[in-house]
Amino acid sequence: MTATATTSVRVDAWGQTDIGLRRTVNQDHFVILRLFKAAEVRQSSVADPGAFQALHGPEGWLFIVADGVGGQPGGELASATAVTSLVKYLSQAAGCFNNIDTDKEHDVLQQLEAAVHDAHQRIQEEHGSGSASADRFAAPGPATTLTMALLIWPRAYVVHVGDSRAFYLSKGRLRQLTRDQTTGEFMMDTGAWTEEQASKAPIGSMLASALGGSDMKPSVGLVDLQPGDTLLLCTDGLCRHVPDERITELLGNAADAATACRELVDAALAGGGKDNVTVVVGRMLPD
Amino acid sequence: MIQKKVCMVGVFGTGKTSLVQRFVHSMFSERYLSTVGVKIERKPLDLDGIAMTLVLWDLAGRDKHEDITGSYLRGAHAMLYVADGTRKETCDQLPELRALAREFAGDVPGVLALNKTDLTDAWALGREEEQAMAAEWDMVRTSARTGDGVEEAFRRLGRATLAGKETAP
Repeated sequence: MTATATTSVRVDAWGQTDIGLRRTVNQDHFVILRLFKAAEVRQSSVADPGAFQALHGPEGWLFIVADGVGGQPGGELASATAVTSLVKYLSQAAGCFNNIDTDKEHDVLQQLEAAVHDAHQRIQEEHGSGSASADRFAAPGPATTLTMALLIWPRAYVVHVGDSRAFYLSKGRLRQLTRDQTTGEFMMDTGAWTEEQASKAPIGSMLASALGGSDMKPSVGLVDLQPGDTLLLCTDGLCRHVPDERITELLGNAADAATACRELVDAALAGGGKDNVTVVVGRMLPD
Repeated sequence: MIQKKVCMVGVFGTGKTSLVQRFVHSMFSERYLSTVGVKIERKPLDLDGIAMTLVLWDLAGRDKHEDITGSYLRGAHAMLYVADGTRKETCDQLPELRALAREFAGDVPGVLALNKTDLTDAWALGREEEQAMAAEWDMVRTSARTGDGVEEAFRRLGRATLAGKETAP
């Protein structure tokens, strides 16, 4: 049985975004947020400072990347609204994110999903109702992908819309936590298309679900991490140019999260940089 | 609204995700994509006038590299054990999986979905073996491809969670 580590970790987190080599606007956004409830001892006559250790309490981390839908005006506004409204919503509910209580876990998941629905609504209210696709015949309006991970050690809750991705690297093995919500994937799921048909069809890469779009269906998942594991969230500007093997190598060899981000972005640019590229890396360092 | 956590437990490739997709989205795909971590889906049900939601935890299956992560099972109200009738070894591992589930979740209700009944040519279990399993488990023969037995397996599990009792004899 895989034992879940109960030790605590230090989280080394960093994010980086780049406009890429072809685009004139960076429609990607990201945020890294630390959530904690703590009391600070300013002064005490108690000899053992460790007596107050419990006051620090557990902390949570929130990682988000959002990729405004390319080719539509206001994509950068949609991704910015998604990130800011999610942070606002979840900060207000931060009290329930400080530990894993199995009885309350579904409340946490529902809060995360509610936050995504709230962001979706805000985008539609502030920027107009949009289409999930870059279809020129679709109603105008910005939309965005969203990939979000809430880390409450050792558990990472992942909520995902669109084709940005979440991965985790564990013991040298990179695993993708999300599945792209594209027309191609949907058609393969229904058995209507083969993988080859999906890759060749012009609409295969069209988003089937996006915040602000006409369809928005968040997928929810989770994974328990172990000390030494690394979380990666990225927009498709990384994956279209950098194969998983190279991502594994760069994440595994980097000295810290900032270096990993820089090298991943550099690799995407070296691979063509056709799109904006954003990466967020969280390394779980044994405490 | 009553919410009950149900964990899908079984060896890799037995069709846990396909059963969830059939039950929640009325879809079936021939594509096999192994689950990473846990995927969560919700399904509202009306059971004899009682509204409830099954929160389905679709766990990565046990394989030779990785066992099921016990902590995912904590707090579960029921287990849907899944075995593949075309691979006898997936049935042989059921007692061990049930022991694991009981270690982390306690003596919660469990239903066994004996899956892939549509693959009659490849079926690996004899009549007596199936009868023995049915005597030991609350068993439903299922096919995620055709949908046979799927609704029944989940609804039976839902009723068991409301009754708060073990359904296996």
